[in-house]
Amino acid sequence: MVPFGTDETISRIVSAYSGMLLRLACTRLGSTADAEDAVQEAFLRLLTARPVFRDAEHEKAWLVRTTLQRASDIRRRAEQRNVPLEDMTEPAAPESPGEELRSAVRALPEMYGAVIHLHYYEGYSIKEIAKLLGLPAATVGTRLARGRERLRQMLKEDVV
Amino acid sequence: MNREDYRKAFDELSFSADFQERTADLLQQRARELEKERSNMTISKTKKMAVLIAACIALLAVSVSAAYMWLTPAQVAEEHDQPLLAEAFQGPDAIEINETVESGDFSITLLGLVTGRNLDVLNQDLEKDHTYSVLALRRLDGTPLENETFDFSGYTMTPLVAGCSPAAVNNWTLSAFAQGFAKDGVYYYLLDTQSIEMFADRTVYMAFYEGFAPSNDIFTVAEDGTIAFAEDFAGVQALFTLPLDPAKADRAAADAFVESTGMDGWTNERTAPEGDWDIERHETEDGEEITLRPKGEQ
Repeated sequence: MVPFGTDETISRIVSAYSGMLLRLACTRLGSTADAEDAVQEAFLRLLTARPVFRDAEHEKAWLVRTTLQRASDIRRRAEQRNVPLEDMTEPAAPESPGEELRSAVRALPEMYGAVIHLHYYEGYSIKEIAKLLGLPAATVGTRLARGRERLRQMLKEDVV
Repeated sequence: MNREDYRKAFDELSFSADFQERTADLLQQRARELEKERSNMTISKTKKMAVLIAACIALLAVSVSAAYMWLTPAQVAEEHDQPLLAEAFQGPDAIEINETVESGDFSITLLGLVTGRNLDVLNQDLEKDHTYSVLALRRLDGTPLENETFDFSGYTMTPLVAGCSPAAVNNWTLSAFAQGFAKDGVYYYLLDTQSIEMFADRTVYMAFYEGFAPSNDIFTVAEDGTIAFAEDFAGVQALFTLPLDPAKADRAAADAFVESTGMDGWTNERTAPEGDWDIERHETEDGEEITLRPKGEQ
């Protein structure tokens, strides 16, 4: 594949992955501005790390993992600086069903949140998620089942 | 909640309208800066290389056995545009290892590691130390490893700790970030994890192997907590013991970390092969609901 760094490849990658990565970052971050920072940092890593990808799937997997890691770092740093919870979440608004669901996903242990999102939003199969996250399929299956169970308890409804 | 509700919840999110344009501009500007820095670096390196070649010739006259040269961990950090890390690898806290294991077609050399705070210019973690480890890989038959063909993601480099389940303390739970590149036929891994010094009063390993997350297909744990590769694991493998300073251990933090992972269980028994699932299908108004559970789990 063409190395990342030319104007053309930068435009292609930013356009192809921004939406997916921003939503994925929001499984760990309550603020969309923080999610934008996480995704920008992931793209910047791509410039400096200069990995060479076998194919588009490899490229996507790298970006997914890096974005999740950047999002975790931002969240951890905010938590360690004791930023009050309300400052880490979206501006106070009447809690819509959508926000309730997003809050529940953010409250999941990180190992479950990403798997739940990739399955429910992106529609990936267990095998595809295993490949993206570099985990055994059995682990992804277990995390999906347990994450769903926790969401069910938090939302007090059926999660299918 | 079904898939439609889930998608609706995340589609409600509103991001900056100019995010893509702003990001592409930022990246293009940074790419040009990096290109400029690299051009300058190449000129300076060419001069240094002449001196280095002369030094190598002198060394070869003394000993042919010392013929193979690696980049140092500091040079690997420089290649990743990480000047603070490069400096740390030359500082007093750096641990030089330089141990080599030959496995399959490869020679695997753990070059060294260093632990510190704010060493990564792109990830200034103000509150936590990180451990950075460098490993070099080359083919025993001399065939060069190249960025274009080497399958970086097919291998895993991960710390493991005796007495802790490999499922609990590993790359994934330590939020690792691995990067790699090939230079002069050698492939270099730079692994960034949360600090592993809290485990320093136990045996801490650095494992390198062909495959993904640690599982009992790859590792066994003895009764005394010692970790080894499974006898029937045929992939490329190397297990190094890290000479960490036990005085830096923090048993309470280590125990809390392991507990926080919720993954402390381990068995060497292989009972649940991958893909062994109970599948339930139900027709709904929206289509078909498919529930997948590991066999035996309710």
